[in-house]
Amino acid sequence: MNEGLTGERQSGAMQVVMIGLGEEKFALDAGLVREIIDPVPVTKVAGARAFVPSVINVRGNVIPLADLRIRFGMPQLDDSADTRIVVIELELEGEPVLVGVTADKVYEVTEISQTDVQQTPRVGMHWKPEFIRFIAKWREEFVIVPNMERILN
Amino acid sequence: MSGMDPTEVFRQEASELFEVLEGALLDLGQRPDDRELVDSAFRALHTIKGSGAMFGFDKVASFTHEFETAFDRVRKGEIRPTQELISVALAAKDYIRALIEDPQSTDDIIGEAILDDLKRFVSADQPAAPVVEIAEAPALAPAESKQAGWHLHLEFESHILRNGSNPLDLLEDLCKLGPCFVVPITDGIPFLDEMDPEDCYLKWDVKLHAACDKDAIDDVFMFVQDEMKLTLSPLEHSEAPAPAPLFQLLDEELAPAAEMPAPVVEAAAAPVAEQPVAEQPVAKQPVAKAEPKSESKPEPKSEAKRDDRGIATVRVQAERLDELMDRVGELVIAQARLTQLASSGSDLSIKMIAEEIERLASSLRDTTMGARMVPIGSLFGRFRRLVHDLSRDLSKPVEFVTSGEDTELDKTMIECLADPLVHLIRNAIDHGIEDTATRTANGKTEQGRIELAAVHSGAQVLVTVKDNGGGLNTARIRAKAEEQGLIAAGAVLTDHEIHQFLFHPGFSTAQTISALSGRGVGMDVVKRTIENMRGTIDLSTRPGQGTTVTLRLPLTLAIIEGLLIRVGEGRYIIPLSAVEECIELTAEDERSRGRNFLNVRGNLVPFLRLREIMTASGAPDRHQKTIIISTGETHVGLVADQIIGNHQTVIKSLSKLHSDVTIFSGATILGDGTAALILDVAQLVALAQSKVEKQHISEAA
Repeated sequence: MNEGLTGERQSGAMQVVMIGLGEEKFALDAGLVREIIDPVPVTKVAGARAFVPSVINVRGNVIPLADLRIRFGMPQLDDSADTRIVVIELELEGEPVLVGVTADKVYEVTEISQTDVQQTPRVGMHWKPEFIRFIAKWREEFVIVPNMERILN
Repeated sequence: MSGMDPTEVFRQEASELFEVLEGALLDLGQRPDDRELVDSAFRALHTIKGSGAMFGFDKVASFTHEFETAFDRVRKGEIRPTQELISVALAAKDYIRALIEDPQSTDDIIGEAILDDLKRFVSADQPAAPVVEIAEAPALAPAESKQAGWHLHLEFESHILRNGSNPLDLLEDLCKLGPCFVVPITDGIPFLDEMDPEDCYLKWDVKLHAACDKDAIDDVFMFVQDEMKLTLSPLEHSEAPAPAPLFQLLDEELAPAAEMPAPVVEAAAAPVAEQPVAEQPVAKQPVAKAEPKSESKPEPKSEAKRDDRGIATVRVQAERLDELMDRVGELVIAQARLTQLASSGSDLSIKMIAEEIERLASSLRDTTMGARMVPIGSLFGRFRRLVHDLSRDLSKPVEFVTSGEDTELDKTMIECLADPLVHLIRNAIDHGIEDTATRTANGKTEQGRIELAAVHSGAQVLVTVKDNGGGLNTARIRAKAEEQGLIAAGAVLTDHEIHQFLFHPGFSTAQTISALSGRGVGMDVVKRTIENMRGTIDLSTRPGQGTTVTLRLPLTLAIIEGLLIRVGEGRYIIPLSAVEECIELTAEDERSRGRNFLNVRGNLVPFLRLREIMTASGAPDRHQKTIIISTGETHVGLVADQIIGNHQTVIKSLSKLHSDVTIFSGATILGDGTAALILDVAQLVALAQSKVEKQHISEAA
């Protein structure tokens, strides 16, 4: 649509994993997602930043577990039958880093097309605009495509 | 593996060959008569040349070729390898290494200078003709063969270039058979306007000075036989100059020089000779009889043995081993869960399988760990050059003895050890070993001795650097420490305590700063590096008899012994090496919220409540335990709810997202699959000290 929207969407569509956090739906770029697992026991890390409060064991790797709800100022719900951990791989300072993200619900893997992308409105948002890559329309709903690198840095 | 850059493979291979070459050259300095050494140096050179050419390192190939040519004389036994020649050869080796590793940084002039040096040693005046040849074709060797060769006349058909054949390549192949003298015949070249750039008009006259047979030459031209005319006639005798008398002259000149290291031969060969005797007393007997005068004979045998072992290795990327280690770690965790499950049930067959798997998993873990282990000998080899150069520069003759090369250590540890050992060895030569005059005056042998040894001791490896020099000057260290205000004048300190000041940053007793040492950086860096590897460093000295530095290192960086504790709901691991003792927190200490000191047998020890640091929820256990940890001289108590027990731990580093958390040095995975954090002892101690200081300030206020 315009600059600021990156390369992978040049094909017109973008594969995303639709997750629910509180009342909102977020679309994670499917290219980042490594796996989706059931909740595992977490280990609290004293002194860590609030949005990466703990670590988990995923296949023998100890990886941080991030809570986007804290970053977006949402209430933290208790784990339910729908709670999942989405393991994503990010590039932080030139090195790949695995991070788990708690999701209240994981809906499906789907495509959002370029034509559905909406400009991020300047007003009416209570989230930091730099956390949001763009907002897209999906089945009559607006979903947020978060900028994970920014959120976790 | 297939994706690996072939050039990178060559670089790796070359760096191993350089070690062989360097080792052989240095040994040669000690035992100039050892044919086996000359051959192994020559083999290494030859392989570097061959694969260098194969991977497009043309400069390397041509330079090595020159080097090899010069060295050929040594191999033929025409000249003796003197110390000077060895030094030049080492310089040449360094130049080749630079050519391979960082071609931009090298300068052709340096290479030429080294070659000139080499040639000067090898033959006093090389005739001018070969030099011209080199200028024409770098891959050509100076014509020095005395054997008859072949005279070739090559005439290619004019369309040969269009078929993709390159006559120059063929000529180069021909050169590999032996020294060639190539003269192009330019008679056939037409005027420029008649010339077709795709036609070949040149013919060549080649004098090949090699005793190869006709088939070998035919082989070179095998693919173009139909498109060329090749006339072969044998050369009756070599037209190459035969400077044989010169060699003799040179030989005589160098002979006295070569005798100089002769006493070393016996000294160095003797300990080596003992080894095979102990191993195979029977095998040695016939050898000794057959060659009664050769003292160093057993050495080539052990050398050959080492070669055999080399063949049975596979080159694996270190990352793959790390990956394997991770998988094994997962397996061990899964197995622990299976065992847990099996023991809670009553099915006997499942219990048996669980036991079987437990046994297999633990042996698999041991094997995988073993695969990461490399003998420390690869590291020791590097220092021989260092000692050689230093002893020459400082003109202190030093004998360098290593033992325990087979001792195995984790690969990453070996890499971390290189720098500290360089420091220690430098110190030993520069400060430890006295100059020759002092040694003689003190009734010692002129030649100093530095021993580098590695030995297993339980779950640790001890690496010692021992010199037989003057020992540490305790009085001077003390004076310096007083001067720098590190201790009060007249304070009572043991010698051992005084020696610890050597590890203080910026501490140097050297009266003058030399190029090598005396700047006071070094020992503190050495200490820090060793401590980062969870090792310790220890000094012991006897005045007039020498100093021994002992490094105690864990076998591997990947696994530690830890003490598993519980704080609230969380479980943490304290490295066992830092734990001094565990005591119960008395009711009195418990009540005293205001002060954070324990009375441990009359000593005041500050303590930290881990529950506060970890912000643990829930009520604390009734009987709180204190784990006393120490770093160096400082003791700190850590108060936990429960001490669970020993735990052998595979260390995982924390993610970047947690790089701001300093009190944990890593994480691990417990038997039930949860992650547990490893406490960083040094950071906790620092934290406790800063708290104590704060308390003092608030009290003072």
